[in-house]
Amino acid sequence: MLSIDGVVAGYGGTTIVQGVSFEVPAGECAVLVGPNGHGKTTLLRAISGLIKVRDGRIEFDGDEITRERAEKIVERGLIHIPQGDLVFPDMTVAENLQLGAFTKSAAKRAKARIEEVYEIFPRLLERQAQRARTLSGGERRMLAIGRGLMGDAKLIMIDEPSLGLAPVIVDEVYRQLRRIVDSGMTVLLVEENFRRGQTLADRIHLVENGEIIRSGGADDVLDDRAVRETYLGVSE
Amino acid sequence: MNLVLQTLVSTIVQGSLLALITIGMSLVYGTLRVLNMAQGVMVMVGAVAAYVTVDGLGVSPWLAILVAVLVTAVLGMLSYGVGISRLIGRAGVDFEMTAFISTFAIASIVQNLVQLIYGPRQKDFPVLLDGRITLTEGVSITLHQILTAVIAVGALALLGLFLSKSRYGLAIVAVAQNLDAARLMGIPARRAYVLTMGLAAGLAGLAGVLLAPVYFVSPTMGDLPLLQALIVAIFAGLGSTRGTIIAAYIIGFVQAAVSIFWTSTYALPVLYALIVVVLIVRPYGIAGKPQEARL
Repeated sequence: MLSIDGVVAGYGGTTIVQGVSFEVPAGECAVLVGPNGHGKTTLLRAISGLIKVRDGRIEFDGDEITRERAEKIVERGLIHIPQGDLVFPDMTVAENLQLGAFTKSAAKRAKARIEEVYEIFPRLLERQAQRARTLSGGERRMLAIGRGLMGDAKLIMIDEPSLGLAPVIVDEVYRQLRRIVDSGMTVLLVEENFRRGQTLADRIHLVENGEIIRSGGADDVLDDRAVRETYLGVSE
Repeated sequence: MNLVLQTLVSTIVQGSLLALITIGMSLVYGTLRVLNMAQGVMVMVGAVAAYVTVDGLGVSPWLAILVAVLVTAVLGMLSYGVGISRLIGRAGVDFEMTAFISTFAIASIVQNLVQLIYGPRQKDFPVLLDGRITLTEGVSITLHQILTAVIAVGALALLGLFLSKSRYGLAIVAVAQNLDAARLMGIPARRAYVLTMGLAAGLAGLAGVLLAPVYFVSPTMGDLPLLQALIVAIFAGLGSTRGTIIAAYIIGFVQAAVSIFWTSTYALPVLYALIVVVLIVRPYGIAGKPQEARL
């Protein structure tokens, strides 16, 4: 579904993603795991067209999208749910969700989709008339995920869904992510926490210094002794 | 009592016009983070376009309103294409500052072109509605003033509806509130920019036609409106539409009150004094939020 081949990207004079290659097959959940500041978010921003890809090639659903504009990539069904607080602060929850279905094809199904989102995150239904800036951090994250689900997605990229949230809220968010993965959606998840990512992953890619240092099934990677030491703090 | 009533009438007319001109600057700043110095020139182009249609083609002044709005809207979009779009996302370019200078250059070029073709002389423009209504002994309001207020408020209401209900209106608001998030929704940011620039210029053009019978039509008639709009924009806080409308009426009131109770010579100096105070006490205006550069 998504194929990344030797992608290089960065900001200004700094190169952050140093030639990354991997694939996300249809219907699977791939997880990029690695410490903060090692290029996971930059990679997602390059895939979704927010920043320029300097080298390499990205293919989605059989077509090359390496240098396409962000809006075109969204129309193709590659939806990026960004990290942190990228909601529209002065719009209501309902308006935020509505904008998630901006593309023409998604707009047609917006009515039914918004019901689904409210069913997944009942909290958003309660808060639908409230401005997004008045929501708590957890609610905003749910809003960002719900807004992503409003689109006509073939593949959803989710960036650090648990970042900065209380553990109880993270559990809740991950329960809903489990549902999304189980529904057969193709997912590319970025997660700092190995254990969390592992619960959803069909395949894990370890990212360090802008490169993928190891890939494999969730359990294969875990068996690796170096990985256990670096990511789980277990020394043997 | 009469003076108070007169001040009120003047506030409503002036405030509505100021709101019409400044809201465009505010929209452009909101989406592009550019202080658009070409807004005053658009007021002038609107008036000149209307004058040429009426005088040259002998068409009704009412139709001239439409022509003025179209001409300025197209010119606004063109100035985006020529002077702004190429600066976006260029490495090593301070977008806000460069684009600000670019709009200043556009204003200067357009103003001089108009002067070259049309000459520097001031020309009369007919009022759209002739006559006046006496409110009380000694205080009257012209039909043109009433029309000005009605058209301006009507246009602002339509704009509000467009921004809150239509697909592309929402796109503009979304881009203004969070550019990256908007792009990730599939909103074509560049199309939103073009549209905003066209909208802003068209509103200024409309104001130009309404101002034409009051001031004379001349290549420099947009200078004062630009100054006033800058004052309103700073007072409101750049990028806030609701703040802009409130600020426009407050500035309209101060201007009317100083002119009527003191002398019109002091209206502008008093406004500048007010702006200095605002900048010191609340640098981001009454409704603005401190903002960061982003393009």
